[in-house]
Amino acid sequence: EFRFGPCRVEGVVLPELWEAFWAVKNTVQAQDDITSVRLLKAQVLQNVSDAESCYLVHSLLKFYLNTVFKNYHSKIAKVKILKSFSSLANNFIDIVSKLQPSKDKDMLSISESAHRRFMLFRRAFKQMDTEVALVKAFGEVDILLTWMQKFYQL
Amino acid sequence: MKNVLHWNPPEGLRGVEVTYTVQYFIYGQKQWLGASECRSISRTYCDLSAETSDYEHQYYAKVKAMQETKCSEWAETRRFYPFLETQVGPPEVALTPGEKSISIDLTAPKKWQRNPKDDTVSMQQIYSNLKYNVFVYNTKSRRMWSKCITNSTLELRWLEPSTLYCVHVESFVPGLPRLTLPSQKQCISTLEDEMSALK
Repeated sequence: EFRFGPCRVEGVVLPELWEAFWAVKNTVQAQDDITSVRLLKAQVLQNVSDAESCYLVHSLLKFYLNTVFKNYHSKIAKVKILKSFSSLANNFIDIVSKLQPSKDKDMLSISESAHRRFMLFRRAFKQMDTEVALVKAFGEVDILLTWMQKFYQL
Repeated sequence: MKNVLHWNPPEGLRGVEVTYTVQYFIYGQKQWLGASECRSISRTYCDLSAETSDYEHQYYAKVKAMQETKCSEWAETRRFYPFLETQVGPPEVALTPGEKSISIDLTAPKKWQRNPKDDTVSMQQIYSNLKYNVFVYNTKSRRMWSKCITNSTLELRWLEPSTLYCVHVESFVPGLPRLTLPSQKQCISTLEDEMSALK
């Protein structure tokens, strides 16, 4: 299960997500020519407190679903990529549906800190050509999963 | 985290003196950097461990061949992620026999060090959720079983006295697709049963 601070997400098999991405990693990352830009920079994901993590993962996964996967879907020609893509997307939907970030007022400063991190990522995404940004974001799923991995317990 | 770039010499130049130059690139940064120890070298590998020691970064490397005044195109790797792709070695294993038990003490594998004088870093510090698969084989009954543990000690109980058991252990990080390297097999015999010893 995942434990993003107070948020628990059960029933997600992390190796499945890795397996799905691993199958397409080289293909997708080879399509990303702008290697001088990294969307999920260190400032976005490093030293995230447990309390922040639920807010941040919720924002990131919703963005991946509503922007990256939604628009990348039409670009997929190869069946192999489509299969991995669907597996990742379905698992992200499952995780987001189980995340319940707290709306308590006393969590405001923490949720704002997480939001600032997310905005760093989103701003970098918006500064790029959309097609290029979609490919780059999909290619950085290994960075996202590596960070999520820290909150995963067998 | 020992990261070595290997390549094949260009075809059709056997017996001709060819030298190589390597550069590397940190994903998200601006420029290619020279690998200081791999300029105009004749060997076909380059140890980039120092250059890629920040395992949270992702890297590219490229190499080109030079022969007299002629120069090849760069040959570039795919994106390399040490944190994901490094191979985690086995732990050190210490066995202590009891009458019907064996206690297993594990020491987490160490991060590869270029200079033995460098501070040792345990892979446990890098992978906080590092786990172990312990495999146990009873040589008398020829039965094998395994157990997955997180901490570094395991007490095998209800064993048969005066019996040779063999153990090997693999380290792994849950979730990441990686080859595992098992430890050397170690065999040890449980002690003689006190009752039979008194007879």
